[in-house]
Amino acid sequence: MTDDHASDADGEPAVDDYGAAETESHDPATDGGVTRGDVPSASNGLLDRFSVVFGRRFLVGVLAVTLVFLIGPVLLTFVASFFQSWTGIAPSGSLTLIHWEQALGLVETVGASRGLGTWVVDVPGTGLAVRLPASIAFSMLLALAGVGINLLVGIPIAYAVTRYDFYGRDLLNAVAVLPIVPGIILGIAFLRTYPNLPSAAALVIGYSLLKTPYMVLAVQSSFESMELRQLEESARSLGASWPRTFLTVLVPNAKRGIVSGSIICWTLAAAEFNFSYIVYSRGPKPFSLFLFENISNNPFQRAAAAVSIYFLIVALVTALLRATGERGFSTGGVR
Amino acid sequence: MSTLDSESLRRTAVPETERDRERRRIALLSVPFLALATFGAFVPLAQMLRISTSQSSFAAEGFTLAAYRELFASMVAYLPVVGDVLVADVNPVYGVVVWNSLWFGALTTVVSVAFGVCLAHTLEKYDLPFEGTIVTLLSFPISLPGIVAAFMMIVLFGTTGVLSNALAFLAGTEVDTVALTGQPSGTTNAVVGLFFGYLYSMIPRATFLLRGTYAEVNGDAEAAARSLGAGPLETFWHVTLPQIRPGIVGAVILTFRTALAIFGTVLVLKALSVVTFRFDQEIQVGFDLPMASALAAVFFAFTLAFTFLGLRFTSAEVSEA
Repeated sequence: MTDDHASDADGEPAVDDYGAAETESHDPATDGGVTRGDVPSASNGLLDRFSVVFGRRFLVGVLAVTLVFLIGPVLLTFVASFFQSWTGIAPSGSLTLIHWEQALGLVETVGASRGLGTWVVDVPGTGLAVRLPASIAFSMLLALAGVGINLLVGIPIAYAVTRYDFYGRDLLNAVAVLPIVPGIILGIAFLRTYPNLPSAAALVIGYSLLKTPYMVLAVQSSFESMELRQLEESARSLGASWPRTFLTVLVPNAKRGIVSGSIICWTLAAAEFNFSYIVYSRGPKPFSLFLFENISNNPFQRAAAAVSIYFLIVALVTALLRATGERGFSTGGVR
Repeated sequence: MSTLDSESLRRTAVPETERDRERRRIALLSVPFLALATFGAFVPLAQMLRISTSQSSFAAEGFTLAAYRELFASMVAYLPVVGDVLVADVNPVYGVVVWNSLWFGALTTVVSVAFGVCLAHTLEKYDLPFEGTIVTLLSFPISLPGIVAAFMMIVLFGTTGVLSNALAFLAGTEVDTVALTGQPSGTTNAVVGLFFGYLYSMIPRATFLLRGTYAEVNGDAEAAARSLGAGPLETFWHVTLPQIRPGIVGAVILTFRTALAIFGTVLVLKALSVVTFRFDQEIQVGFDLPMASALAAVFFAFTLAFTFLGLRFTSAEVSEA
């Protein structure tokens, strides 16, 4: 793959050349006596005739198998979390909500510390104590703080590299949109750098840094679809200062990218594991560590319920994303 | 980010012309990102380099290259013939983890990108029912962390897993012989289970990287090839593939570097000692921070060089999916 693409490395591949030139060199046989020369052979090899009949079926089959492989276990997990037991191929026992209550920390369990950490709130006047899942709320807030930093950092840099042409722009763009440092490396780097920083603050900084590429990509795609120079100049000529132009004309116009970027960053930060696992030392636990402890220590059903909580969050977020016009988590592609 | 002599710096701070003002705007817009990158990434990475040469595990003291010497000696010791000659009595443990990371990541990348090409092709070329839903479902695993991907493998292939139990039932054997998770580390079953876990994370990513490439393929050329008598496979090989090749190279580079950095999946399944899993052992078990930092520095330098050289010196295109 790396040796012969050098020839078409420069610029757009010239599509017209391929049919004639390459077919001739690759495919000397199997033309059944038809004229050879610059025209590609008209009759096809066995494999190719096979692909006429089965190609589409094969590809759709691959898609179907992949979908079952990817989504099947998600559905199984969700279903399993409502059953009392699951041994073998099918679930058994009656339907129950106990695993969800245990996972959410809403009922007392032997392994309650592995539940989502609870606040017990006394309802005044009734004598009842209500248990609230506190750690999940804390984790969501951490991710939200990360998104806040993402917005402050991501929108300006996305605008700078989209609107202006300057020395070092390409490098800055690459650094901003490529996920440069893997989470686990960043975690190790954080261990001794900020030893006195509370875990929560370190997590917020890490989340914002690791997820910035998603924000920049999303906002950039909005900016790219706008006539930035015209908008800027119109607003300026009508008397707006540049900061006012930026804040009240340009940024609001990129609303769609900003909203979808925020949603994506928030969801990915809420479940960020690699960095959190290395950096977390004390204080309320991030959600991903709660998931990890459930997966590695708890009975299958309760782990299934814990994982299902996250599935529900992602499903909700995906629905929100579709409402903003994105199709799922497609922006950027690689974390 | 203009040239940094004192005159242009002064004019950026106190602009005289519209061009100076534009320069100041660019600087101001870049400041928040550069500040985050500096304090969030550059300073910690520099500190990590410092720790990797420290003589103490608990503070940055003294200077020694012992960790790097041990690391590279161990990597050399793993080499077949050279290792026996040069460093006969060194434990090749780091050589093993590096080799495991490389071959496992490479295999994952090849298979994921192959699937990605198939899936992107199918989605782009055929009118499928519920295509929007299919795309959404395919993107779903991208949002899942590695530990959840591992749990999905336990659901499918574990000792209580659905597929492993079904297979054991059909083959009439004990489920322990066909389960792919919960097996001792390094056994074939465990490694295959981990491989599926990697694929679970990587196939959707590769697919979405390639979808961006496919959106730009010139359909007219393909239609022309077909009408001139080329079959579907020939058309793909001679017309489509040359057009998507830059996208494939880009997808290979990004998928490989992401596969190398997978950690949660390995931590849960504990099937193969790869570099990221070794970090956990160095820190949680031995607390050998200099060694972990040295390994992290080498790992980071490798992925950085690999990504940038790959994107710079091949025709790779990283398309926004």
